[in-house]
Amino acid sequence: MKELFNDIMCVEGIKGILLFSFHGEVIFKSFLSSVPEDPETRDWALFFDAINKIKESDLIFEDGRIYIRRTELGFLVILMSSFAPVALVRLNCDVLLPSLKPAKTSKGLGRFFKR
Amino acid sequence: MIKNVLIVDDDKDLLVSIKEGLGKYNETFSVFTSDNGLDAIEKLKKNTISLVVTDLKMVPMDGFGLLSHVMENYPDIPVIIITGYSTPEMENLAKKGGAVGYISKPFIIKDLAVKMITTLRKEADGGTLHNVSSGMFLQLVEMEQKTCTIRLEDTSSGRKGVLFFKEGELYDARMNDLQGKDAAYEIFSWEQVVLSIQNVCQVKENKIQSDLQGLILDAMRVKDEKNGAAEELPAAPENIPVIEEVKTEKYDPVSSVRNSIAKNLGDRSGVEDVYLDSSWNGLLSHMSRLGAFFKIGEIKSVFVDTGEPHNFILKKGEETIVISVSPKCPRDKIMHILN
Repeated sequence: MKELFNDIMCVEGIKGILLFSFHGEVIFKSFLSSVPEDPETRDWALFFDAINKIKESDLIFEDGRIYIRRTELGFLVILMSSFAPVALVRLNCDVLLPSLKPAKTSKGLGRFFKR
Repeated sequence: MIKNVLIVDDDKDLLVSIKEGLGKYNETFSVFTSDNGLDAIEKLKKNTISLVVTDLKMVPMDGFGLLSHVMENYPDIPVIIITGYSTPEMENLAKKGGAVGYISKPFIIKDLAVKMITTLRKEADGGTLHNVSSGMFLQLVEMEQKTCTIRLEDTSSGRKGVLFFKEGELYDARMNDLQGKDAAYEIFSWEQVVLSIQNVCQVKENKIQSDLQGLILDAMRVKDEKNGAAEELPAAPENIPVIEEVKTEKYDPVSSVRNSIAKNLGDRSGVEDVYLDSSWNGLLSHMSRLGAFFKIGEIKSVFVDTGEPHNFILKKGEETIVISVSPKCPRDKIMHILN
């Protein structure tokens, strides 16, 4: 998964990427600099419940930006500086996210015959 | 992207043999021919040409006349001179006139092809992208304040066009005989394109003088109207009247936001409505906590796409200010204005 997000991580101003499940569990995290607190120590369920209907969101704060994008696995949260090229980040997400899909579970008799 | 090359020579037999000889490079360029300068000018008007190769001695318009016409009207198109009357003075004159190459007759077709391919390669020194959404890419060019020439080909129709950007501002556009805004509208209506980027812009004068986002929105609207699909799509953004500043004692945040957007973006902002709505306060406070967790300060504004026909931009206040916008609105600009 890290390779999948490489293009986004290389964009100037990106500080970190997190992928949360719809229930708030951290599926993936990668940061270019240290974060004040480990996101896995916090219960995110209420937050992701609140943004449950959102497909895409762009949050501007005093000292940074957060881009949130709904994927098939959950919510992608990209942490960036105020001056990061957000349009480029969105473009990269458009290109990359179609390949971020849940792993297929084999159906029928095939699942009994391991390769 | 296959480039269009125009070869101009009054020797019709030579034109035929050049065209045949260059046939093997038809995956790199396609060849148009003219037997005089005036006909070449007509072909330049009707086609998006990437390179001109011209003889010097021709009637009714000679190669120098054509060279100066190209330099004046199509400064981005390189010109290579081929001539049977080569002298150092003439070569010097041609290069002073703007020619990028000079070949004496007789020449080997392969040498001409190599010169042409080398010259055309400069057209894409900034890279080539396949099957991209033109609108999204061009907004990126604007945001990154790029100076470049972008050549685009509509993947569905094969039509070609050129856009000229100076520090992120669209200066000019060309598509066949269309120039300026008319050409830009046409090009912006293409959904999927192949594009090549050249990291220079030869155009000096801004012939567009309009906001890029607005042009893209207008182009989409014109296209929708043409397709007769206007009724099925979300309503086009209404014009936002600029409310005259009225000196009142009470500050009205809605009018203030509405006026700021209208002043900066005019009727192309894509804003449908501005109102106060406290039902968004809960979502905003959840988002504020996300900022607090990462220690990036207070929340200022938020863009939200919930999959509805319109999106929302929220600005934090005692009561949340909600700006309902069309999906194609210039959201980064609106948020920049708000902040």
